[in-house]
Amino acid sequence: MPSCKLLMNPMRTAKQGVQVNVGKFTDDYEAIVTALSMHESDMQTLGVVDGDKVRVRTEHGHADFVCEKAKVPEGMIFVPYGPPTCQLMGGDTGGTGMPTSKGWEVEVEPLDE
Amino acid sequence: MGGKVTCTLGEIKNRADFIIYWGGNPAECHPRHFTKYTLMQKSKFLPRGRKDRTMVLVDIRETKSVRAADIFLQVRPGKDFELLTILRALIKGQKVADEQIETTGLTRETLEDLVLRMKSAKFGAMFFGMGLSMTRGKHMNSAALLTLAAEMNAFTKFVAMPMRGHGNVTGADVVMRWQTGYPFGITYNRGYPRYNPGEFSTVDLLVRGDTDCAFIIGADPGATMPRPAIDHLARIPTIVLDPHVTHTSRLAKVHITTAPAGIAAPGTGYRMDEIPLPLRPAISSPYPSDEEVVRRINAAIDEHPDWRHAQPQMLTNQL
Repeated sequence: MPSCKLLMNPMRTAKQGVQVNVGKFTDDYEAIVTALSMHESDMQTLGVVDGDKVRVRTEHGHADFVCEKAKVPEGMIFVPYGPPTCQLMGGDTGGTGMPTSKGWEVEVEPLDE
Repeated sequence: MGGKVTCTLGEIKNRADFIIYWGGNPAECHPRHFTKYTLMQKSKFLPRGRKDRTMVLVDIRETKSVRAADIFLQVRPGKDFELLTILRALIKGQKVADEQIETTGLTRETLEDLVLRMKSAKFGAMFFGMGLSMTRGKHMNSAALLTLAAEMNAFTKFVAMPMRGHGNVTGADVVMRWQTGYPFGITYNRGYPRYNPGEFSTVDLLVRGDTDCAFIIGADPGATMPRPAIDHLARIPTIVLDPHVTHTSRLAKVHITTAPAGIAAPGTGYRMDEIPLPLRPAISSPYPSDEEVVRRINAAIDEHPDWRHAQPQMLTNQL
């Protein structure tokens, strides 16, 4: 199964900001925080299309996301902050009080459903 | 150099003719920022509004904010500190090698044009977001930007301001600052405030498992913190005050539902420029405010004076 190393950047979206106030245990919120934006060529490398599931791994854990093609730089993936990204985040703050929450080197592999 | 050269958003609205957003996406995360403060407002000093202002966006990708920008600088990921340091050198006329500029993903012409525009501005304002402060380098990136803003004052007026996140995070910092002298990462375990990020900051305490109880007001660390910290919150008695059911309230031993502040409970909210704004409730709620719950807990503790003297974490007691 092909896998590739990409740079992951969790971020915020306006839709997520609205949905937080509606409820975090809704299907809409779940869909928002598991939507992973990826460059078309990276999707081809992985052999996935829009709507396919992928597993993202860091040295701290793994989480599953749903791929969507987006206008993002090649080699980088973007996903809204949420419970799945908590699984990937390390606890080391380097003495700053906050863990590094962007620019993670991750391994992405397609999931067979 | 330390500190922050800053001002209120009102001054920016009325005077700032050169705006830089660095590592932030206000179009999605602060949707009223452009219209209320930085771009669209007309003023005595900027009578033509948007036409009198220039906006530069620095980011690693094209966000929705690009549409509002006059100039978009796509910096290579993890190269913000290098770019800020190069700009600090260029504004002072110091030599910078081409290969150093190349590492940022930008060209010398672009940066020289930016420096010229910055120096030509009457009033420049730099806003920075988590794309700067939460990537590799973190507080050093923020310090580099704040230093650049301070050093620009040798040429023209320049200020800097962080783009703060959720409701009233600025308020938490400001109140802790005037009460203790420190913004966060504070312990009272010796009876007086001590500050040390990495040692007393919440994530570090939870990840190390140093706390045997957690009291959380209006926050959802269960959906934002790293997994080891969340696991520890689930292990210990966690008490949550929140109007909503959240990931944290679900793992907590006790969840007290409170009235949402600013909507059904009065209070004070701090804008991101640290201006306190009184909040009047628009509706009533059957639930108590966070303040009332904390007051009632304090009153209950006062009925047990012996609890007040228990300081199990004090080094002197342990010895």
